[in-house]
Amino acid sequence: MRIQVRRTGGFAGIERYAEVDTSDRPDAAEWHALAEQAVAAGRGTPPVGVPDGFSYQITVDGKTVYCSDPRLTDEQRKLISRVLKEGA
Amino acid sequence: MTTHGGFEPVFCTIVPPHVLDRLAQAEDPALAGPARRTLQRDAFERTQRRLTTVIGASAVAAVADGKPQRTIHDARHGTDLPGHKVRGEGDKPGKDATVNRAYAGLGATFELFLQAYRRDSIDGSGLPLNATVHYDRDYNNAFWNGEQMVFGDGDGEIFLDFTIPIDVIGHELAHGVTQYTANLTYFGQPGALNESLSDVFGALIKQYTLGQTAAEADWLIGAGLLAPRVTGVALRSMKEPGTAYDDDVLGKDPQPATMDDFVRTGRDNGGVHINSGIPNHAFYLAATALGGHAWERAGQVWYDVLTGGELRQDAMFADFATLTVKAARERFGDGEELDAVSKGWEQVGVRTL
Repeated sequence: MRIQVRRTGGFAGIERYAEVDTSDRPDAAEWHALAEQAVAAGRGTPPVGVPDGFSYQITVDGKTVYCSDPRLTDEQRKLISRVLKEGA
Repeated sequence: MTTHGGFEPVFCTIVPPHVLDRLAQAEDPALAGPARRTLQRDAFERTQRRLTTVIGASAVAAVADGKPQRTIHDARHGTDLPGHKVRGEGDKPGKDATVNRAYAGLGATFELFLQAYRRDSIDGSGLPLNATVHYDRDYNNAFWNGEQMVFGDGDGEIFLDFTIPIDVIGHELAHGVTQYTANLTYFGQPGALNESLSDVFGALIKQYTLGQTAAEADWLIGAGLLAPRVTGVALRSMKEPGTAYDDDVLGKDPQPATMDDFVRTGRDNGGVHINSGIPNHAFYLAATALGGHAWERAGQVWYDVLTGGELRQDAMFADFATLTVKAARERFGDGEELDAVSKGWEQVGVRTL
């Protein structure tokens, strides 16, 4: 499974992007469950966020959903932080 | 395997994960608990804001005596808002420079709106001004949550303390003014106008505080916010959009100065921090053509449009520009103000009717 996260917006309006390929990972099952939950709770179009809050685009195996701070589900936040951290 | 930044060589590896990301990592219920409470509170706040939009703001029982009512809170590197109260109105400065900067910045913003535009606080009715500093750890952002300002300390690698530039403090408070007035939708062109108005009044607060004329001002947003290792002078330039930074890690300032370079994107709420460069530059052109203190004439025209009741929530650049021309004529007649405002928009490629 290929998981891509792009964060945009924020006061600086500067992007951050990272991706994870779970195919060789021992914890792939955990990633898959998290990604599926995060995508299920996402929206098909970018929601309007609070001024200067971050916006996110999550793509899992080609399917893209959107979410914005501070209205993220626990799973979305967990996935976003893990992917961006892994990519950092 | 993990790859990073493969698609966007210009934009990659910059800001470390912020608070919600961090909380998401927390297996510790002591950390996850406050996060959930914050989200619940946020949902409540959003509901209240929607009600305010629909039924109008209730009369705020505040003393409209022309004095700010500031309270600074310290999140102590946590994420629960508002955090611990560390300085109230009239309290003497403490040892924490961040707290003192936030307090002074709120005061400066209050002063500009009161002295220049006779506006009593952000809602026009003496609304208490609340800010939280030291939000989370290494938090590279500042935002307006609908009720208060929140400032991170920055990670020290890319960003420094977000209370350092007074225009950043003014920017966040101006989002509050916009919320209570035109309430521009935070997406696409109306969103870029929302962002631009915050940059305009943020810049004016800095100029007012320093007593600068339009010619003396640097017209930068976030000067002093970038860490020393970053190649750049600020986050945005109203004078020369697109030139604020050009850095190996940060990438290049993506702001356009004119409609020819308008960026169509779904990211960043439809490019609100990108295309704001166009109305930002129009304001700069009008203000510098007029000279003197920018808050007195160009700023007055922009303020008149923001608060005049004719600016729709879904206004496009051309709608806003047309209203500034009308406001310039109504306030100053057929003089140099009208000419400067009209030419400012013409130079950035926005048509006025």
